[in-house]
Amino acid sequence: MRTWAAKIFNGITLLGLGGVLIAFFINGRIDQYLHPQFRLWELAGGIGFCVAGAIYLVTKKSMDCCVDGQCIHSNPRSPVRGMLALGVITVPLVAGAVLSKDSYDQQAILNRGFVQDARALPLRNVAKDATAATNPNQPAIPSEALGGDKDESASAPSIEPPLPQDGSGNTASQDTAGQDSKDDSSAQYLPRAEDGNVVLEVSDLLYSQSEESLRKLFTGKTIEVIGQYLPGADKSQFRIVRMFIWCCAADARPISVPVKTQGPVQIADMSWVKVIGQPEFEPNGDHTKVVLKAAQVLPTDPPAEAMLY
Amino acid sequence: MNWFHFSWQNFWFSFLALAFEGLPFVLVGSLISGFIAAFVPSRVITRFLPKNRFLATLVSGLLGLIFPVCECGVVPVVRRLLDKGLPFSCGLTYMLASPIVNPLVAISTYAAFRGQHPELNTAVRLVGGYLVAVVVGLSVSRLDPARLLGGKAIPNRSRRRAALSIAAMPDAPDASRDVSAMQRVIGAIQLASDDFIDTAIYFMIGAAVASVFNTAVDQRIMLPLASSPVLSVIAMMLIAGILTLCSTSDAFIAATFTTFPIPARMAFLIFGPMFDFKLLFLYSGLLKKRTVIALGVGLFIIVGVLCIAFLPAIYANLGS
Repeated sequence: MRTWAAKIFNGITLLGLGGVLIAFFINGRIDQYLHPQFRLWELAGGIGFCVAGAIYLVTKKSMDCCVDGQCIHSNPRSPVRGMLALGVITVPLVAGAVLSKDSYDQQAILNRGFVQDARALPLRNVAKDATAATNPNQPAIPSEALGGDKDESASAPSIEPPLPQDGSGNTASQDTAGQDSKDDSSAQYLPRAEDGNVVLEVSDLLYSQSEESLRKLFTGKTIEVIGQYLPGADKSQFRIVRMFIWCCAADARPISVPVKTQGPVQIADMSWVKVIGQPEFEPNGDHTKVVLKAAQVLPTDPPAEAMLY
Repeated sequence: MNWFHFSWQNFWFSFLALAFEGLPFVLVGSLISGFIAAFVPSRVITRFLPKNRFLATLVSGLLGLIFPVCECGVVPVVRRLLDKGLPFSCGLTYMLASPIVNPLVAISTYAAFRGQHPELNTAVRLVGGYLVAVVVGLSVSRLDPARLLGGKAIPNRSRRRAALSIAAMPDAPDASRDVSAMQRVIGAIQLASDDFIDTAIYFMIGAAVASVFNTAVDQRIMLPLASSPVLSVIAMMLIAGILTLCSTSDAFIAATFTTFPIPARMAFLIFGPMFDFKLLFLYSGLLKKRTVIALGVGLFIIVGVLCIAFLPAIYANLGS
């Protein structure tokens, strides 16, 4: 009887765990929690838990974890231990699934400290970039649009494709005409909204602080960026914020760029806004700092994926 | 309390993220453990190791290269290996080294430190982790495992004697009897499930504690420590202990602490996978509480000495 009861509790623990993981994947909530490279892994885990739970429930114990009277596990024979497992593993997960708002509040974002330097972020992902031109919800700059001139991290091994060729076998950066040609051809890769604005992410602007090719590409362009509104020192400036995840939301850190407006704006703290304007690059010691000069600040819906990566 | 501001919203978000990322790793570790129990005769495991205890410990630190298990899943694997007859010093060395000395971590560390001498930092992390694990393993090699292991993890006497002589081990009666492959697979999954439940209880407690620290405690109280070579190393080890990150992903976080000197970030990357909040609980399923505490203190000192006394000179000589 005790073994049977323990088996029920342990089986439910595994099945419940698998159910939560699969449900998060199917309904898309997992997108707010994990980097894409871990999402299929999470689904596989969910399926694995369900398979293990089903086998645990319906099959007879075929191997014993006890040798000469000494047992590695106590949970197969102890209903109390089984209840404890259910209470510690699955119940909190189900409670979290019901109660979580799938986001951090302002206090958590401020507490984590802003990433000020793009060199602290992983290099932009070429594969991800390649899909950006067709998907405006993705971080925006395709690598085809860029040269390999990470001017402030020259020692970094480049993951960028070769510089565009000018047709004579020389790289575009080797002469002025080639440079112009490169800039023109690069601009066509920039993803654009229906009104012609260049659609960027906060991370793109942050990267542009350390990548001259991006600065050249963005200068003079009207861009639009979506993020959360964080008030600044006065009503005519604020920061537009996104959370950047390395692996999961637990390691997410906020990235932001300052925005200057022509007049005061009335936006609720941490609400989602679309900022339309032009980026300006200012020298800041050895580095370059980007400031977005906003022409419009509009309330907007959260993007499908609130996290950048 | 200005330094503590708890919010359920932040807690649940961080807690679920850690659970979703970590639990599949725990499952994989448990499955490896279950399949080892069901399919791998102990003589195969012991065959990997030299008979000499010193050399066996050295080799155990490299087993992660062919058994790449992260720290979330390594405890059930080690527990099973101990049950299979692996000497405690070798098991401990493998448990500490495997989350660092494995190909996945090498790749992620290299990627995370792009532009920051990735080859050097990856090598320092792997070699440093290996050396620390071996030092700890050798330190316990002459101690009686029964004094260090928790009750459920102590191999029985006949097995323990054989294990310490690194001889081929008799397998569990069920493992050696004539059963079909399918029965063995089912048995492996059943054992893996029990392993998982044992391990996941501690993981979830650790994830909950880490989530509270991650979201409720003001992170700025630690930042002034960054300017001191000694305090920065200590602070980064404490942060690693609190953040409870997985070793396959922690390099991306460490690389962002650019205000901290590189030896301090290496302390984060070596100490964290060996001892953090979730491991405090996970290790409690394998080791006696006083052993866990002694292990934590010992690792803190060894990694601290390595990163304060030796790494700055190494980086200076190698031009980083």
